[in-house]
Amino acid sequence: MKKAKKFDSVAFTFIAPAFILFTLFVIVPTIASVYYSFTSWDGISSDIKFIGFANYREIFTSARFGNALKNTAILTVFISVFENAIALGLALIVDNVRWGKNFFRSAFYIPVLISGIVSGFIWKIMYNYNFGTLNAMLQGVGLGDFKQDWLGNAALTLPMIGVVLIWKGAGYYMIIYLASLQGVPVELIEAAEIDGASAWQRFKAITVPLISGAFTINFTLSLIKGLKVFDEINVMTDGGPGFTSETLVYLLYKVGFNEGRQGFGTAVGIMLLFIIVILNAIQQKFLKSREVQL
Amino acid sequence: MERAKKRVRGRDIILFAVTVFLGILFIYPIFFALISAFKSNGDILKNPAALPTSLYVQNFKDLFEQSDFATAILNSVLITVISEVLIVCVIPLAAYGIERRKSRTTSLIYTYFLAGMMIPFHLYMFPLFKEMKTFHLFGNMSGVIVCCVSGAVPFGCLLYSSFLKGIPLEIEEAAMIDGCTPFQTFWKVTFPLLGPCTGSMIILNGLSIWNDYLMPYLVLPSGKAKTITVEIAAFVGQYTARWDIVFAGTIISIVPALVIFCAFQKYFVKGVTAGAAKG
Repeated sequence: MKKAKKFDSVAFTFIAPAFILFTLFVIVPTIASVYYSFTSWDGISSDIKFIGFANYREIFTSARFGNALKNTAILTVFISVFENAIALGLALIVDNVRWGKNFFRSAFYIPVLISGIVSGFIWKIMYNYNFGTLNAMLQGVGLGDFKQDWLGNAALTLPMIGVVLIWKGAGYYMIIYLASLQGVPVELIEAAEIDGASAWQRFKAITVPLISGAFTINFTLSLIKGLKVFDEINVMTDGGPGFTSETLVYLLYKVGFNEGRQGFGTAVGIMLLFIIVILNAIQQKFLKSREVQL
Repeated sequence: MERAKKRVRGRDIILFAVTVFLGILFIYPIFFALISAFKSNGDILKNPAALPTSLYVQNFKDLFEQSDFATAILNSVLITVISEVLIVCVIPLAAYGIERRKSRTTSLIYTYFLAGMMIPFHLYMFPLFKEMKTFHLFGNMSGVIVCCVSGAVPFGCLLYSSFLKGIPLEIEEAAMIDGCTPFQTFWKVTFPLLGPCTGSMIILNGLSIWNDYLMPYLVLPSGKAKTITVEIAAFVGQYTARWDIVFAGTIISIVPALVIFCAFQKYFVKGVTAGAAKG
């Protein structure tokens, strides 16, 4: 069918604009960042010194990077686990509720529409110790003892940022779960019902295996999103108190723009890319092994 | 269908009650922002949960008087609209070339584009800005637009490629036989059939461009109004004591997204699920 190798000028002209833009403004700077990660570039002066692996040595020895890595891991795992659990719960609810299916689906999705900066601000005010809604509510229901400086308490900062991200993200994953739930054949469920399987047994034995693909995808998507969180941290805590909410992305931003060490910042970015590539490879493997089963 | 015939059971009522409760929980923060935008600062502090007693619009007046918020709105609209137009000009064409002119090279290019989805913007932003300075794209709106369009290539190609697979070749072949050039065939025959896909892509991309913070913040020149999101972030730092003004800004940021969502809901759903099916 296809002619022997011949230059396809039509394909070339169709693809060229996107290819050039993408290469010029995504790939070239990415490759350049590999180079800069071996330099002491400060972002301003044109005097860029090659310093070998010094940035990477610092990454593996400095406590600040270790702390940022730990914070990123906590935040990422926290949101992926809860976001998926909540999104699946919401999808099941919306799928089964008798009245107002579409209305509730929209209601749970609406927070997705709001920017990270705006949602960070709204929640920052709700978390406020003196004037926040959260403490006022606790006071109102007689649980005044639990009043907290939600973002100022180092033990709570990351989970509280996580709550905002889950609120803002769960609706997105809910949509994916819903689509997957609607792909589960009704006959299978009904057959199991006739055979006397309880609701939980039906869920466990039929629904869960059939939506596991959506689960793998959602889990990876939320992990990767968790690694890249920036806006909410920026507006809510600026990485504080101290360094308790400084994640990898935030560390990268701070050393790059506030401390004039963009060489080191890019090295942190390279580590981030490594983590994302590994997570993607794991996802691919999971999806493949599932295909074999089916 | 069948279920509708069943009579209402206790279980249905409990589930409905739980859903309503969760719905309120999810909507409350937005409702809170909305009521706060129409209350004076004192009222927000005194009783955050109370409804505004009158139509109080002083916050919006202050917002436009004390800052150049009008320019910020204009910038946000321009960046979003121009980026979208360029995205629609560039990306479907590329996906068509990849999908309909399949060869070793085009599949390789497709993989190359998809690999871009993994690269975090934060990784390459420093070198990108340096590069943009040499192209004179740094410090103006065209730079922001170029970044938005380039960054949209991976997801856009993924979305269009998966939609193109579902469009029969025969129609295009007929057009070609009737004498259309490949370029005409694409724009006159295939592109209209891709309407739902274009809708999904415009909406999902539009939302992320509208809401983007870091890139416009860093690229646009300082000392002038940037975009809505950037201005709001600046207020949070600047007017720590004037929450009312910031709330007015957040409402201006939320309302357009909300209106578009209500009008084009099905495109949101389609885009999210199609993106996940292969992503």
